[in-house]
Amino acid sequence: MDKDVIIALACAAGLDKAVAEFPEDVYAAAQQALGNAGAIAVPTDPADEPWPPMVTGPGP
Amino acid sequence: MTGVHTTELHWLTAAEATRAFAARTLSPVELLQALLTRIERLDPKLNAFIRLDADAAMDAARAAEREIAAGRPRGPLHGVPVGIKDIIDVAGLPTTCHSKILLDNVAVSDAVVVSKLRQAGAVILGKLSTHEFAIGGPSFDLPFRPARNPWNPGHHPGGSSSGSGAGVCAGLFPLALGTDTGGSVRNPASSCGIVGLKPTYGLVSRRGVFPLAFTLDHVGPLTRTVADCALLLDAIAGHDLADPGSAPSTARYFGRDLMRGLRDLRIGFVRHFHETDMPANAEVTAALDDAARVLQAGGALLRDVTLPSLNEFAAVNRVILGAEAFSIHAPWLRGRPGDYGQLTRRRLLEGAFYSAADYVGAQRRRAQMIAAVNEAFRDVDVLICASSLDPASRLDDPVETARTYPRQARTPFNVTGHPALAMMSGLSDAGLPLSVQFVGRYFEDATVLRVAGAYERDTEWHKLRPPIA
Repeated sequence: MDKDVIIALACAAGLDKAVAEFPEDVYAAAQQALGNAGAIAVPTDPADEPWPPMVTGPGP
Repeated sequence: MTGVHTTELHWLTAAEATRAFAARTLSPVELLQALLTRIERLDPKLNAFIRLDADAAMDAARAAEREIAAGRPRGPLHGVPVGIKDIIDVAGLPTTCHSKILLDNVAVSDAVVVSKLRQAGAVILGKLSTHEFAIGGPSFDLPFRPARNPWNPGHHPGGSSSGSGAGVCAGLFPLALGTDTGGSVRNPASSCGIVGLKPTYGLVSRRGVFPLAFTLDHVGPLTRTVADCALLLDAIAGHDLADPGSAPSTARYFGRDLMRGLRDLRIGFVRHFHETDMPANAEVTAALDDAARVLQAGGALLRDVTLPSLNEFAAVNRVILGAEAFSIHAPWLRGRPGDYGQLTRRRLLEGAFYSAADYVGAQRRRAQMIAAVNEAFRDVDVLICASSLDPASRLDDPVETARTYPRQARTPFNVTGHPALAMMSGLSDAGLPLSVQFVGRYFEDATVLRVAGAYERDTEWHKLRPPIA
């Protein structure tokens, strides 16, 4: 991921202070996140729902 | 490398101690005094404690002594000392999470698990070291020193429940509570050569425990024997209406099958985790093969089982954990990033870079993974697989620690929520514990303990003690 994109995403998340004081940590975290998300074979069937399912209860 | 067989007071199990209390051959005060003496001598080398609450523990031990003498036993852990990981609330003590962020965070009430321990008569000893917020790693840039491994204090004891593992292993206390979001009970159990159980998700209340990731967090016991693990689980399990993840299970008496043996139990060996997905250290592999042979010799029917790849389980765990943890820590990451240790800061910042689609995609894949594991349990009763893929690395070698820490097969069962237990399966040439993991169907924690109990009886590993004097 391009460093400018990383900084833009971090600042959009309100992490300006972390970007200013710990830029290497921010870059490392972004690269790790990219690798993790890319390692998942997300289901292609639109009907595959996430876990846990929405559950209704008896109410208050 | 040789361990030492011993029957000294500090090596008593909880079960042995309660029997001795009942027989009036030992009092809770005598046991606590012996442990406090040992803690004073060894903890400066091990850093298991963040805060020892000796005075309150002695008051509780004296009360237990009086009640037992009067024939008024309070519960199955009456007079037994227990250590508490410092992300779990104990009323009146700070829950620091081993972090500068929460140094002054005094708990106003007990976590549900601590309250249940008190009801069972346990003596709360104090708060134990952890990786910062149960996520970072062995670190020297935090307000408290990292715990060390009793088998070799130059090595880490695993984590994040690091003080829980080190203290139980070193005979500082017989029982401890830890938490497990990506393997944090089973890692110290594996690194220290003790028993650690991540119960079925929802079996044990998380109320009063600082959250790391809501859908992955578990509280679990660390002990030196399987029987003690069942005893501690009996004390802390139970439905909690105020914990939204708590399950309305009535499972009880988790040690009921400990002596049943393995005959005709169907056990699936998940070899690909450690043989091809993340190839394990050769000593770990050999110990796993030996463990499988022990189970077969005990009468179990063994077959190979294939699950989704370990690498993908790990990725799903990290995306979910990262996204959920970021939602908790975002205010501090924005305002006080310098108050975290570097390892923790890097791990928590990951969450800023997962999109909503990443998180939901991981949760959708999680549903498929749960279905795959449940499908495997149609043909087998229990799974055996690796826990740690390497022995514990040196604390002063952050590169090797960073390489080996993620090499583990515990995260799959945080993703799925199945009960999973890690215990010692050997000793490396360098004198460090090796480990094996047993996994069961939902709410069949007693069956996992049954297999672990049989393995413990048929091997000698639990009798070894670390060489720390």
